[in-house]
Parts: sequence; C-alpha cells; structure tokens
Amino acid sequence: MGLEFLRFGAPVAFAALGESIGQRAGVLNIGLEGFMLMGAYVAFRVTGATGNPYLGLLAGVVAGVVLALIQGFLTIHNTADQVVVGTAVNLLALGLTNTLFRAQFGKSGELVRVPSLPTLFGPFDAGLILLGILVIALSLWLARSKWGLANRAVGEYPPAVQSAGLSVTRIRWQAALLAGAFAGLAGAYLVVGVAHTFAENMVAGRGFVAIAMVTFGRWRPWGVVLASLFVGYIDSLQYQWQGRSALPVELFQALPYLGALLVLVFVGRGAAAPAALGVPYRRER
Amino acid sequence: MRIGGWMTLGAALLVLAGCTSGGEAPKADGTAPAGDQSKPFKVALLTPGPVSDAGWNAMAYKGLQAIEKELGATVNNQEATGSQKLDAMRSYAQDGYTLVFGHGFEYNDPAAELGPAFPDTFFVTSSGGKTGPNVGAFRFYLEQGFYLAGYTAGLMTKTGKVAMIGGDRVPSIASTFKAFAAGAKAARPDVVVIEKFTGNGQDVAAAKQATLAAIGEGADFVIHQANAAAQGVFDACKEKNVKAFGANLDQNSNESGVILASAIINAEPAFVALAKDVKEGKYKGEVRLTGMAEKSIDYVFNPAMVDQIPVEIQEKIETERARILSGDLAVPKDEF
Repeated sequence: MGLEFLRFGAPVAFAALGESIGQRAGVLNIGLEGFMLMGAYVAFRVTGATGNPYLGLLAGVVAGVVLALIQGFLTIHNTADQVVVGTAVNLLALGLTNTLFRAQFGKSGELVRVPSLPTLFGPFDAGLILLGILVIALSLWLARSKWGLANRAVGEYPPAVQSAGLSVTRIRWQAALLAGAFAGLAGAYLVVGVAHTFAENMVAGRGFVAIAMVTFGRWRPWGVVLASLFVGYIDSLQYQWQGRSALPVELFQALPYLGALLVLVFVGRGAAAPAALGVPYRRER
Repeated sequence: MRIGGWMTLGAALLVLAGCTSGGEAPKADGTAPAGDQSKPFKVALLTPGPVSDAGWNAMAYKGLQAIEKELGATVNNQEATGSQKLDAMRSYAQDGYTLVFGHGFEYNDPAAELGPAFPDTFFVTSSGGKTGPNVGAFRFYLEQGFYLAGYTAGLMTKTGKVAMIGGDRVPSIASTFKAFAAGAKAARPDVVVIEKFTGNGQDVAAAKQATLAAIGEGADFVIHQANAAAQGVFDACKEKNVKAFGANLDQNSNESGVILASAIINAEPAFVALAKDVKEGKYKGEVRLTGMAEKSIDYVFNPAMVDQIPVEIQEKIETERARILSGDLAVPKDEF
C-alpha cells in the first residue's frame, strides 16, 4: 500500500482542516457530511461533463461555498441553532444528490467512471500537494496574523472582538465560507482523487469523522490533518489485516475509531474547545 | 453516527404519522377473498438499500417495473431497514396491497409475523425459510453463477490467489462468497481465497481500498458484492491491472474494461411469474428455488474479453455449467 493511504485519508483531512478554522471562530458545522456529499456530486457531474478533474475540484469548492452561504444566512445572520441547521443541511444534501443522480442516471442507477486526478510524483496528486500547502498556510495564518488572532478571539469571547472595533459577524462569515469551501473540496477530492465515480451517500460518514478529527487534533490545523491521516492509516491497515484470522471483520472495521479514542485518552488532557463554539452571536448594543 | 440514523428517525416519524391516520380508516378485515378481480392489483417492493445501486436493489426494482408493465399492476416501493421493515410492510398491507415483496432474507421474519394478520396480502421475500398460507420466499440460486466465476478464476489465476470484496457481511452475501471459493478450489485445490468487507454498499472509496489491499496480498482475480460501491472495486482492478467479475447485474460493459464475466440474476421473469400466480390466486406460500435451469441465474462472459480466456478453459467452464444445469453438481448454498 505504501503511501496510498494518504489519498484515502485526504478527504477527511480537507474537511477537518476547514472545520477547525470554522470552529476556532465559534462556527460548528454539523452539516459537514452534507457539504461533502454536495461537493462530491457537483465535482462528479462537472468532471464527467468537461473531462477535466481540476475543474471538478473547483466546482466542488463552489458548491461548498454556496451551501455555506445558505447555512451562514440561517446561523450567522439569523442566529438559528447551528446543530439544527446543520442536520437539515445533511438531509437536504442527501435528498438532493439522490434525486439529481436518479434523474440523470435512471432510478436503478448506473456505474459511471469519471477521469481521475493525475498523480504528479509518486502517489502525490495536485490534491495532496494542495493539502500540504494549505495546512502550512492556515497554521501560519491562524497563529501569526492579525486576522488569525481575530478568528481565534471570535471563538473564545466575541464581545472582546467587538469592543476592539472588529465585526464578529464578518469574521464568522469568513470562517464559515472557508470551512464550506474546504468541505466541498473534500467531497470533490473523494470523487476525482479516490473513487472516480458517484454513489448515493458515498461520503458514508466521513463528514462526521472529520468533526471528530477536529477535536482529536485539538483545533490546530497541523493536529487535525495529522489526526485525519493517522486514522486513515489505521483504516488502510485494517483492510490489510482483516480476513487473515477468525476474528470478525466488524472488529477490524472499528479499529480506526478505537485507535483515535486511545490516542485521545493520552493527548486529550488540558486542551479545551473554543468557549463560544456553537453559540450564536447577537450584537450587543 | 451517520446520515442513515437521521433518515431512520425521519422515516420512523413518517411511518408513525401514517399509522395514526391509518387508525381511522377501516383496516383489512379478511372478508374480501384473495385474488378478487374487482380490486386493483397492487404490488409493493421493499429494498434494504437505494434502488439506484446498479446491483441487488436495482435488479428488484426492474422486476417491479416489469410487473407494472406486464400485469398492469399499481406499484410502489421504498427503502426500509431495521425497525422500519415491519412498519412499512404493515402499512402496505393496510393500504390493500395484494403482494408485498421484501427484497432480502431480513424481511422473512416480519413477513411471517404479519401473514396471519393480513390474510388478503401475500408477503414474499427474496430468500428466507419461513412460510405460511400467504407467506413465502423465492431464493435466487446466485451461488451457481458465483461458483462458475470462482471456477474461472481458479483456472486462470497466475498468483494462485483470488479475492472477494463485500459490503455488509450478511448471510446472503456470505453464501455467494462460499460458492465462489468452492468454485475456485474445485479448479485449483491450493488456491488462496482472500475475503474483505467494507461494512456498507455505498462507500466507493472503502471498496476501492479493500480491493487494493486484496490485490496487495497477491490476488489477480476479484469478485464483489458491493452494489453501488462496485465501481471502486473495478477502479482498483484497473489501476493494478487485474481482472474482475461483475455480480447481480450484467456489468461486462463497465468502462473500466476489467470485467471478464458477470454472475447475474434475471429477476424480471421470476418476479413477473410470481406476481402472475398471486394475481390469478394460484400462489401457495412456499420457498421457490430459482436458478440456472429456470434461467433466473446466468453466467455470461464479456464478449470484448472472452478471447483472453484460453479455449480449453472455456470448454472446462462449459462442462461445469452443464453439470450444474443437469443437476449433477449441487453448488453449495447456505440456508438462512
């Protein structure tokens, strides 16, 4: 298998990376799974139509941003409950992609292949290289820049940001759109970088795993990407291990999550979630 | 925690709403005789997964469409798993459906439970052993097709290793895999059969990863029971330049270009014949085994790739096929 596990782990890593920025600004996106599914479907259709997987990736990003605009209007602008809206987004994306897929390929479906993202050197394609660049850029941005500081402050104590003369709403919008773009990219990469096709509900829980990875990675860009790839690595190992013994396969399928839990037990002390995570901000007058 | 959980909750609420409103309507009371011609012939289908999976569920949906077209039936279908199964089947029975198909052995228990309460409705499941006057099953003998695929793989493998990639490890899938392994071992006793499961039939990436792991262990022929995720299996085979077999539907024309042959179920004739018997009042609750002799199961070579199979191997496969058709060879199958 070598480094191939990187490709399989990358969709979760992309989604978790974006979500970590969002959560640091206090925006919790339970709808990550739905974002990824929309990104996957749009990338599938655009890649299929144009034959260009790079356009597919781009289209996935656009789909994520559009969905983030809708979600942000409800949660940031109208201060609706983030968990309720996120759950609705998941249901919307599942229903919408299923309906569109069946409308295009018939109710009984079809196995369709779309062009794949070419590898540039070794197992690395443009998506994995982009992941490397983005994690460095976001780490620096969050830790060193003024905007990164503001982003973190909005997640901890929004009134402080407001009293410093910055707009909490605007910063949350930025973080939400960034997280949405990453989630769309994650779904798109799942299609053009890994699966090269679409199937209903093909994200299969990766969005929820990504949310867990944000916690596992302690809300730090490096941490969440390493956590995602670590779980992806154990996942690739379990596929190699299963079927070699009389142990039930379900035990192996649970291994990545057991591994994550175990690590969390040891590294989880001390760090805490952003204090204003999931709390709608209503401007004080 | 998956979307499926939320879907289940939503569907459960809908079913609940359906039951409450249904309480005011007159319930099936068993006075109207079965097969009454004045009543519209209504047929329902329940599947364990989306009918767009180009596999197990899609095939049943095609059967339902054939019933609609050929018998002029009113049809309806829905996905139902877990606790939804019983509620969905009961709802259809209450709505006056004459025939309720449950496409999987897991619908057999609810069928047996509901049968006595709704004597006007026939509950038929795809596999399952419990029967009653209006409860039965048909059992597709897909193991026959899988056996021939395994036999082909056993004759042709260069590495001496073949693989099976499954979604959920359910008894029906496990049984077809056993038949594939038996076929491979009949052709080559020392063959190593690798088996991997991803846990669901929709995760294309997982199916691909499992296939890559099997190929990494040396498998050069791969069969699947991954439904909608099958494209991941074929994609991995294409990347690693190994051969695959299609399953459930004829997948030979898949553009991956790796499929040597497919083990298929022709569900439509079996579905229509059964619905016709029910409509004409001839159906008795029973388990119908339907296989190659009944033309419900077939094993078809990919015309574009058949020249890659040496003629003497093709002859051996045809001999084995003839033995199955004549009944000389009983392909192993599990009862569940």
